[in-house]
Amino acid sequence: MPYFSPFDLPESILLLITDSLAAPGDFVLHRCLANHLKDKKTPRVTILSVSEGIAKWKALASKSNINLQQHLDSGALEFVDVLADVQPNGFQNNENNSDLKIIVERVRGFLERSSREQGGDTQPAMVILDDITMLEWIGFPLIDVARFARALRAVCSKANATLLVRHHILAPDEPDDLFRRLLQICTYHLEVRALASGRSGNVSGEVALHPGFSAPPNTIKLVPRSAALQYRLTDAGPDFFAKGTSQVVL
Amino acid sequence: MTSLSCELFEQTQDIEGMEVGTRTLERSHRHKMSSFKRKATGKQTLTVYPGTRISPASNLSLITSTGISSLDDILGGGLPLTCSLVFGAPDIHSSYGDLIQKYFVAQGLGNGHRVCVVGEDAEKFVRDIMWFPKAQELQRAAESDDDDKPANQDEKVKIAWRYEKMKQFQTTVGSQDGDCLPFELASRVPKEMIDDGLKSQRIRVVNAGTNMFDILGEISRFLEAETKEATRICIAGLGSAGWGDVSPQVCERIVKRETGLTDRNAANPGLASIFPSHHGLVSVQRVPSPQTQSAPSERFSTLRGLGSSGENNLGFKCTRKRLVFETVHLDIEGGTGERRTKESNEGARKVKTSRKKVVFENDF
Repeated sequence: MPYFSPFDLPESILLLITDSLAAPGDFVLHRCLANHLKDKKTPRVTILSVSEGIAKWKALASKSNINLQQHLDSGALEFVDVLADVQPNGFQNNENNSDLKIIVERVRGFLERSSREQGGDTQPAMVILDDITMLEWIGFPLIDVARFARALRAVCSKANATLLVRHHILAPDEPDDLFRRLLQICTYHLEVRALASGRSGNVSGEVALHPGFSAPPNTIKLVPRSAALQYRLTDAGPDFFAKGTSQVVL
Repeated sequence: MTSLSCELFEQTQDIEGMEVGTRTLERSHRHKMSSFKRKATGKQTLTVYPGTRISPASNLSLITSTGISSLDDILGGGLPLTCSLVFGAPDIHSSYGDLIQKYFVAQGLGNGHRVCVVGEDAEKFVRDIMWFPKAQELQRAAESDDDDKPANQDEKVKIAWRYEKMKQFQTTVGSQDGDCLPFELASRVPKEMIDDGLKSQRIRVVNAGTNMFDILGEISRFLEAETKEATRICIAGLGSAGWGDVSPQVCERIVKRETGLTDRNAANPGLASIFPSHHGLVSVQRVPSPQTQSAPSERFSTLRGLGSSGENNLGFKCTRKRLVFETVHLDIEGGTGERRTKESNEGARKVKTSRKKVVFENDF
């Protein structure tokens, strides 16, 4: 079963998720996490969180009947508060803590350890980075953040793990440098957009799926912006429907 | 930090079969009473601090009032604890941003919260907040709204029968169902109250212009104190001229600690001719949803009106007594449709909690 239905995304890829202020893409990450933990016999997930605390992850997972604490205790899930481990230069006296390599090494350690513990027969793990934009905003140099993303991708592809990276877009018409770099290394790009006509109670936004530079041709069904799938956020998660088929229209 | 307990409901219902006799048809349904069992594993109770209440959207989060009932409505009942509210006031010649913050601080003092104010002249800011008209007249002040009501209410106006039961057109929500205290802009907070607060460390003022890390340190120390009350932090004019040379990264760093909401109000003098009864427009950029996927504001806000249709246009006006956020409509000649507002439906529920900290900022 795909980890983000109705999109038929393969595993062991780098999925770039972009969102904006008007349509946050949290639901994509939470649904992917919930599906991975439910579907896999031996789930292995690392959450690299820059913007949210563990409390929110736990609260939203409980809506999908998942007890995150259980998975944390069993070692199937690792939650890394990135800013507790590293800080940009000038924010702490200890200059050694400004290197994002620490996080990469931590992910590598987790993937190797969990793979070893479960023997050779392991299913693809999942690594969630939420979100990469904040690292740049709080003062990490662009080059460091881009290298961090590249290193993370290398570590994940070596371990056959799926990497989800969230990036916030401020101005959709003017792609920023970090976005260009991420686009180059991603396999697919999932774009969460607000409606051009403004907010609505029945349609929260729309989702499009584009291929990245390293996407193999003709393997999954892509969703162009013109036929983007619309969704309505409820407490249980998003309800997807095709354009023009929301409750009020039909 | 609260750990969450998953509440599952089980319904058991057994229906046992029928017996058919020779003479009489006898039916024997035995319903084992539908029994709902709650698996109360690791259930914790949410402590409701004074001046806070359980969010209508999630019984795992607490909300507190901003001091302005219509702003509370926009936020979906109030500002959740652990969240921040950023107000962008692009017009530096107006002080509506300050006014909203003063309401926030006044509401905190009125509810007995601990308050930390950071700003260029923070003590002056605190001494200048609005207050109740008079201690004895609280009730009356809550009811009086003479700016909005027509003078002669008693006079019976004859109107067509089919419109007689129609409610009066409302563009904002009342304060009767919220936790807002009835502040009045014409009154000032008593001097003794601020003196007492400063002496007992319930109010902390931090002057901007010094090193940013000192400011962050002061705020951290204030937050670390053991307390049983909610704490409010108000940062006035973050990054404005009096703060010295502040990089965007540092501002982001200060704001980063909390997640939250960005609200932007734009007081545009050019709009005065189009909307003569408003002082500016408000656009909501992001709303807090600390425990839920869908933001409470989108479900519960009467003013935003996202329940069934598109979002209403919002504006604000400052009357002689109070600041009010309301929906913006064209004049009658502009052909506005029939749109009446209902009171927000906020029920009290039982509960649990998380951290108790609220940050309030004003960003130019």
